Amino acid sequence: MANKTRQQSKSERAQALMQQQRRRERIRNLSVVGAVVVAILIIGGVLFYVQSQNDTSGQTATKVPSNLTGTYNVVVGKSSAPTTIKLYEDLQCPICKAFEAATGQQTRAAIDAGKVKVDYHMVAFLDRSSTTQYSSRALNAAMSVLSTAGPDAFMKFRTIAFDNQPAEGSAGVPDSTLIDWAAQAGADRSKVTPLINGNVYHQWVVNATDQMSKDGVTGTPTVFINGQNQGSNPQVAAQAVLQAVQ
Amino acid sequence: MKQWVGLAARLIVGIVDLVAGITKFPDPAGNVRQVRAFKILPEAVVPTVGHALPTVEIIIGIALILGLFTRVFAVLASLFFIAFIIGISAAWARGLEINCGCFGGSAVPANPQRQYAIDIARDVGLLLCSLWLVIWPRTKLALDNLLFPHHERLADGEQDTSAVEV
Repeated sequence: MANKTRQQSKSERAQALMQQQRRRERIRNLSVVGAVVVAILIIGGVLFYVQSQNDTSGQTATKVPSNLTGTYNVVVGKSSAPTTIKLYEDLQCPICKAFEAATGQQTRAAIDAGKVKVDYHMVAFLDRSSTTQYSSRALNAAMSVLSTAGPDAFMKFRTIAFDNQPAEGSAGVPDSTLIDWAAQAGADRSKVTPLINGNVYHQWVVNATDQMSKDGVTGTPTVFINGQNQGSNPQVAAQAVLQAVQ
Repeated sequence: MKQWVGLAARLIVGIVDLVAGITKFPDPAGNVRQVRAFKILPEAVVPTVGHALPTVEIIIGIALILGLFTRVFAVLASLFFIAFIIGISAAWARGLEINCGCFGGSAVPANPQRQYAIDIARDVGLLLCSLWLVIWPRTKLALDNLLFPHHERLADGEQDTSAVEV
C-alpha cells in the first residue's frame, strides 16, 4: 500500500519534471525562432532599402535635353508627312542595329522626301550588357548632340553609334570616343564634351526608359506605323517599314 | 533516404532562388519594368513589388540552403512559384511578349512561345521540390536540426524516430 503510493508519487514527480523540461525547451525554441525572425527582418529591410534607393526612376531630372519634340521623344521629318513611324530604340541593342542596317537609309530618304516622319523614343535599359553602362552613356551622348546641334546631327550620331555598336558583354565605348562620334556628327566638340563627360542627362535617360515601360513597350526595337504596333518579329517590322517608306 | 532527397530539394530551390535574387539585385529599375510588363498588378504597387522581389528571393534562397525554418520558407517558395507560373501563363495566354525576368534578363527572347514553355516547366519542377519540403521538412545537414534538436513541432511535422521515445 505504502509502496504503491510512493511509486505513484515518484511517477508523478517524474512527469512533473518532464513537463518542466518540455516547457523550458519550448521557451528556448521560441526565443531561437524570435531571434532568427528578427535577424531575417533586419537583413530583408536593409536589402529592400538598398533596392529602392538605387532606383531613381521618376525623380525630377535637373537637366533635360533641348530640341526634343515631347518630353521623351524627338520627331524628325516634315510635320505634313502622311506616315508616322514611331520607334523605340536602345543604342546597345543588337537587333536595333540590324533593324537600322535594314531600314535606315531608305527611312532617311523618305524623311527627306517628306513621305514619312519618324518619332524616335530612345531608351537605355541595356546597361548590364556592358561593363561600363554603355547603353545609358550612349543615349546621354545622343541627347547632348541633339541639344547642342539639333535633329540632323542627332540622326547622324545615331547612325554612327549603330554602325560602331560595341558587342554585348564588352567594356562598351569610352566617353572620349562618344565625343569623337558627336564631333563627327556635326556637334561642337567643346560644347558636347562637358555634357558627355558629366553624363548630365542621366536622370532624363532613366526616366525616358521608365516611360517606355509605362507606355507598355517591353523591348526594342518596337515599331509603330501610324499607331499600329508591328509586333516583336524584327524582320516583319523591318519589311513593314520598308513598305511604308517606299 | 527521404532526408537526403530533402537536402537535394533544399539546395536546388535555394540555389536557384539565391542566384535569381542576386542577378536581379543590381538593376532595381529593370525589376520594376519586368513586374510592370506582366500587366497584372496595379501601377501603385508595381515599384514596391519590383524592389521587394530580389530581396525575398535572396532570403528564401539563403534560408533553404542553410535549412533554416525549412517548412516556412518552402511554403513561401511554393507560393512564389505558383505566382510566377500564373504570371507567365497569363502573359502567354494574352500574347504579351516579355522576358520572364527570372534571372534579371531584359531582352525579349527570339522565340517567346518556346521561352514561356521552358520557364513554366522550370517553375513547375521547382514548385514540386518546394512542396516536397513542405510535406517532409526534416532534411539532412539542416540548421533546423541544430536549432531544434529535440524535435519540437515548430519547424517540422515529420516524426523524427530518434526523438519518439518520450
